[in-house]
Amino acid sequence: MDLQTRSENNAVVVTISGRLDAVTAPDYEKSIRELIDGGNICIVVDFEQLDYISSAGLRGLLLMAKLLNAKGGRACLANVKGNVRSVFDMCGFNTLFKMENSVAEALAVIAG
Amino acid sequence: MKPDKPTQIKKESDLCGHNRKVLLDYRIPTRLEEIEKLADAVNQALSDPDLAFHANVCLEELITNTIVHGLKGAADRFIQVQISVSNEWLEILLKDDAPQFDPFMQAPSPNLDLDINERPIGGLGVHMVKKLMDDARADYDGSGNVIVLLKKLHQAAG
Repeated sequence: MDLQTRSENNAVVVTISGRLDAVTAPDYEKSIRELIDGGNICIVVDFEQLDYISSAGLRGLLLMAKLLNAKGGRACLANVKGNVRSVFDMCGFNTLFKMENSVAEALAVIAG
Repeated sequence: MKPDKPTQIKKESDLCGHNRKVLLDYRIPTRLEEIEKLADAVNQALSDPDLAFHANVCLEELITNTIVHGLKGAADRFIQVQISVSNEWLEILLKDDAPQFDPFMQAPSPNLDLDINERPIGGLGVHMVKKLMDDARADYDGSGNVIVLLKKLHQAAG
């Protein structure tokens, strides 16, 4: 997994690519913790380049949501599609997270 | 799962055995970082990318369970993985040498209706395997756990 961050409109856009699995989810959790500890509590995660996710990846996303809830922050996911989306749906994560079809729409949701 | 038809599924699987074709035989060292190499091999063996994705999720969930819980992180063991197809079924076999454990009987079902604060971290892996496969069972053969996963194929695969 590769993880990039950039600031846009008072939010942080986190772009992940490759695999979010048992090996890489701890790296994701660490990066997200650092962002939130640093005061970044509005986060858009862009799934456009993510090929694969397992329950370990979902675990990292749930942890992010819990940390943000505790700090009054919010998250929105962009471009969750295909088989990755089907994993979300079968675990009920489609109702836990706001999801949009583009980063721009996700940023709008966060701002609203 | 599918408590109504387990014997029938097994019978059909045996009947299809005549046309059974082994697509992958793989011995994976019990280290999490080995799972991506197995996934590459699965992607080569299964030409349908959706089927390969589903197989890889199931394999990661079960292998991770075995390494972390069954073997308590022991990195010097191996799990045997075999993937085969017949006319109608994808069959995935896993054989470990961990203590007896049946994830499909013993893992609690997650409550998917809880909100973010109430949702426990973890506990989704076995649920995903049950959702992705049509039949999933584990048996202990005296030397290790044998897991058999079956998924009905909607078209020719392999």
